[in-house]
Amino acid sequence: MPPTDTAVTDSASTEAHVEPAMSSSDDMSAATPLAVGDVITTGDHKAIGRMWIGASSLFLLAGLAVGAIAGFEHADLSGFAIAKDADQFTQLWSLGRDLVMFGGIVPLFVALAITVVPLQVGASALAFSRGAAAAFWTWLVSTGILILSYVMNGGPSGGQTDFVVLWALALAAMLLSIVWALICIATTVLGARTAGMKLERVPITTWGFFVFAITGILALPIIIGELGLAYLDVKYGYLPTDDTRGILVGVMNSVSFAPAIYWLGIPTLAIAVDAISTHTGRPVRFHRSVMVALGILAAYAFAGDFFSFSWRGRPVALDNGALVLLWLVSSIPVLATLAFAGESLKKGTFKVRTPLIAGLFGGLVLLLGTAIGILLAVAPIIGFLNTNFDAGINPDSAWILGRTSFHEASRGLLVGAGLLGAIAGLNHWGHKIWGRVFDDRIGLLAALAAAGGGVVMGAGAIVSGFAEQPMLPAIAESATTGMETGNLIAAIGTALLAGGAALLVLQVLAASAGAGSSVEPWRGVTLEWATASPPPIGNFAVAPVVASATPLLEEGFAIVDPDAEEASNEEATDAEEVSA
Amino acid sequence: MTDITVYDVIPESNPVPVPARPRLLLIGTMLASAAATTGLMGLLGIYLETRADIIASGERWLPSGVNIPLTQPNMIAVSLCFSVFAMVWAVASIKADDRPNTYIALSLVLLFGFAYIAQTAYLMTIMEMPIRGDVLERPPLIYAVIGAHMIIMISAMLYVVAMGIRALGGQYSAKDVEGIYGAATFWTVAVVLYLAVWYAIYITK
Repeated sequence: MPPTDTAVTDSASTEAHVEPAMSSSDDMSAATPLAVGDVITTGDHKAIGRMWIGASSLFLLAGLAVGAIAGFEHADLSGFAIAKDADQFTQLWSLGRDLVMFGGIVPLFVALAITVVPLQVGASALAFSRGAAAAFWTWLVSTGILILSYVMNGGPSGGQTDFVVLWALALAAMLLSIVWALICIATTVLGARTAGMKLERVPITTWGFFVFAITGILALPIIIGELGLAYLDVKYGYLPTDDTRGILVGVMNSVSFAPAIYWLGIPTLAIAVDAISTHTGRPVRFHRSVMVALGILAAYAFAGDFFSFSWRGRPVALDNGALVLLWLVSSIPVLATLAFAGESLKKGTFKVRTPLIAGLFGGLVLLLGTAIGILLAVAPIIGFLNTNFDAGINPDSAWILGRTSFHEASRGLLVGAGLLGAIAGLNHWGHKIWGRVFDDRIGLLAALAAAGGGVVMGAGAIVSGFAEQPMLPAIAESATTGMETGNLIAAIGTALLAGGAALLVLQVLAASAGAGSSVEPWRGVTLEWATASPPPIGNFAVAPVVASATPLLEEGFAIVDPDAEEASNEEATDAEEVSA
Repeated sequence: MTDITVYDVIPESNPVPVPARPRLLLIGTMLASAAATTGLMGLLGIYLETRADIIASGERWLPSGVNIPLTQPNMIAVSLCFSVFAMVWAVASIKADDRPNTYIALSLVLLFGFAYIAQTAYLMTIMEMPIRGDVLERPPLIYAVIGAHMIIMISAMLYVVAMGIRALGGQYSAKDVEGIYGAATFWTVAVVLYLAVWYAIYITK
């Protein structure tokens, strides 16, 4: 159902005394196109965010498409149809993963944060906004170079030494630029909040992006360091052949395996909570509890980095109790967050809109993704029982930790959850970002495709994992029917995810080129809804002052432009004089 | 109107103006310092773990013929500790609006930084551990850790230069010392990180 004016009037949140201080002029509410020079040098966080959204959604689509191609290649284990050999399959698979993670999902969240966070905390600008712009251009060029390095036979298992080295440098530059952007975001939350906006009052989405940023700032430099090490190893002949370079896929494992990959779920959960608040008309009551739950999930994800599945030959210890514990309990904060938000769903008015549906799906897919940890924990627990209590369980019947595609299932579900979070966020704030309403029907279709894709991919990887499919990109020496069937299902899931990403790209393109609308499709209770869509440079006419986490529900809250108020008073005085 | 008259007109008790974007630079610096710390500590962790594994297997950690002298690392450690005092001097000077002393202190910090680079480069030369060798893991690991720290130190030096130029342009004074504070923070973190590298690589070998 496309959003209409009715959707605004029936929103419970608009029952508050909301008076947008700066409404867009009626004839122009969409984002104004900028000249090329303006685009390159802009320091406006909305413009930077829009550029980042456009590029990362395209890279996400490309990454998922490559992942689907690699998946279908892997569905028939009797030979190679698309890739030339196992090394090229590794390159294909690795390109898909790199693009999805750091060309797509993570930059999409960075983009949303750059755009939305300053508005939600009442800041006039993003901290170090030109630094964020520089980070965008560095990331864009690095991602292009990364793709080029794969095309020229570089990357893990690559045959061309120079391009393998280039891959390491390009990926390090991508991560470095993302870290820089995350520093801009976290600094905005910590230092640029408006008066009265205590840290405990920031909207849940901002809090989610904040813990996402802090976790990324602390975790990603570790990968950058490892990439530096990989650079030296390849450059100076320690990994001389494409076979030996296959281990380089492991560099990214420490951030793409559970529980570190739960990092991708934090913004999804946060966006889901804000979407539930807005689209049920009932703000989530347990604000601080949700903040704590998201913080715990971030702590789990960061702790995951300490259990690196290192590419330098040090697999995680099977008896590592802390890691097993993390796998077992990671779904608890997700479940808690969804339960806290459930009260709004139960007592509010459920409206079938893309942000709400995509957010809910995102939370549920994330829950499934974290629940996979129980499967991951089976092998070490059996090992522990055998070692310490002589339990007599045949270790061959257990699935060996880190050697089956269970990790692929976890990653697929988390990518699905991330994509759903991006769909929910872009549909929720699309009008705020571009001044154009997103098509709800396409959004719902995208959400269905992403949710279905994540679940199907996860299910396929679990099926093949039970058939002892080795952890990708390794190829099984002897294929079984269950293995190939599982791989095929997983490939179909990845293709569905790519379909969801394609629909998202379609929405973004339509939003960038369509007709502007001054009518808000809905209005929330947080600060970004108190200014125009898209907001002007400086975001607010005057710095807002808030007294709660839901300022637009405060009695008499209004941001009044002093100039406009003065002009209005003068007009009123003139009118009185005339009438007198 | 003479300068003296101006000073008379503006009373000294005027409130200190709030910087346009209070603390943002300092917060950003702390976050960047945290990123640099985890990046280097991650590498150092790999280094220590690999070394422990190799020693536990009964092998020598450093290849035969490789010698890591202590003179240069110790001198670097002492130099960098002195540089922290110079940084404190710079901060105290800018707080007192004493620009000449600020510039002298920042120049001294940079001098210590250049000394670090020169001594590290010399150390690399006399260690006689060619990076392209047949000893798996060791040379790249050592060079990765030392190189990563050098990148952090060079970043800190560039930060000091940038803030020095800003101070020269009049942006920083007794009323706004945030930039110099930021540079001092990052510099101090870089020095502390060196001490970790110094102990893990040079002292314990």
